[in-house]
Amino acid sequence: MPAETHVERGPLDRQQVFELIRERLADILEIGPETIAEGSSFTDDLDADSLALIELVEALEEELGERTVGFRINDEDLEDLKTVGDAVDYVVARLAQAS
Amino acid sequence: MLPIAVDAMGGDNAPREIVEGAKLAVEELGVPVVLVGQAEAIGDTGGLEIIPASEVIGMRDDPAQGVRRKKDSSLVRAAEAVRDGKAAAMVSAGNTGATMGAALLRMGRLKGVQRPAIATPIPVPGQTPTVLLDAGANAECTPTYLLQFAQMGAAFATARYRIKEPKVALLSIGEEETKGTALVKESHALLADSGLRFVGNVEGRDLMSDAADVVVTDGFTGNVALKTLEGALKFLVGAVFDAFNSSEEAKTASAVILEALAPVAAELDPDATGGAMLLGVEGVCIISHGSSSARAIVNAVRVAGEMVDGQLVDRLRGAVAAA
Repeated sequence: MPAETHVERGPLDRQQVFELIRERLADILEIGPETIAEGSSFTDDLDADSLALIELVEALEEELGERTVGFRINDEDLEDLKTVGDAVDYVVARLAQAS
Repeated sequence: MLPIAVDAMGGDNAPREIVEGAKLAVEELGVPVVLVGQAEAIGDTGGLEIIPASEVIGMRDDPAQGVRRKKDSSLVRAAEAVRDGKAAAMVSAGNTGATMGAALLRMGRLKGVQRPAIATPIPVPGQTPTVLLDAGANAECTPTYLLQFAQMGAAFATARYRIKEPKVALLSIGEEETKGTALVKESHALLADSGLRFVGNVEGRDLMSDAADVVVTDGFTGNVALKTLEGALKFLVGAVFDAFNSSEEAKTASAVILEALAPVAAELDPDATGGAMLLGVEGVCIISHGSSSARAIVNAVRVAGEMVDGQLVDRLRGAVAAA
């Protein structure tokens, strides 16, 4: 289901990417979105294990792949994404490459 | 009933024993089965349908990466068959982590469940088994995870063994609530206030007793406890047989004793339990042990069918939502 932030299907700005990641992550981890900040560490602050991160990756690919053809997250890059902010930067960069 | 999807390619004895087990399950139980895998490797199916899958996630493959990269694997296709309404449940004796990953990513997590858990029945001769969870899905847990494992484990014990109000316990290093790690102490407080029939802490030695119907712990401890029991039982059985064969006199005497031991051995046989159950996903998923024989697959298919009929997934959903 598209996120509410995606009613208008133009290019996503950084804030929209953050909100999308926060929304999906809150859903996966069953926590309130307000507890997720850009500085939150996936492992130390959010207790997200590797499968939770893969759930997030697949959710983002499904959502963003519909909007941006060729959008894909490389599994090898996941190790470098320590915080939510890292993931936002990464997704913004990949969207720019794919568009 | 929709067929049970059996991963024909997963396990040390796949596909031969798995396919044999699937055929036997149809014959003996009348439960429909669909095999998932490579048709040429499966060979004669005895008339069973095949859902084609060209890839196999190996026992040593990284679970999450395996599911991501091998999208046409038997495990992923089996989970998709349940998701797409082509199968009622899935059974695999393959890579445990990948089975969990495929079920989680393709079937989806039950709403409200933070992390799925693996529930393993520990045989208790003369009694219903003790359900141990988590037996290895989540190495690191929070007290809320353990509370949810208790809720799901109790719902499973009711569905599987018809225990109306299962006794739930927490695995620790002593009965006193002051003992154990910070996780155990915090979880104890949550469980005491959970509305479940919480009987307090138990120790490893209580797993094979009637002290509790459901024993909750983190996946690291649960897996260590499970493997320790398996190893100890294997050693004990080997030692008993060595003693029986140690002299002509012992051999003669063992002929009498073996008959009396046979029912106990049957209850302890891992192939008889029907495998472990992944709790917390949108479908019935059975994780059989890697060395599953055809008989183990028959029992897994039987339990899968019973859990579909017993509406296990709805019970789990209700158990977590009611909390």
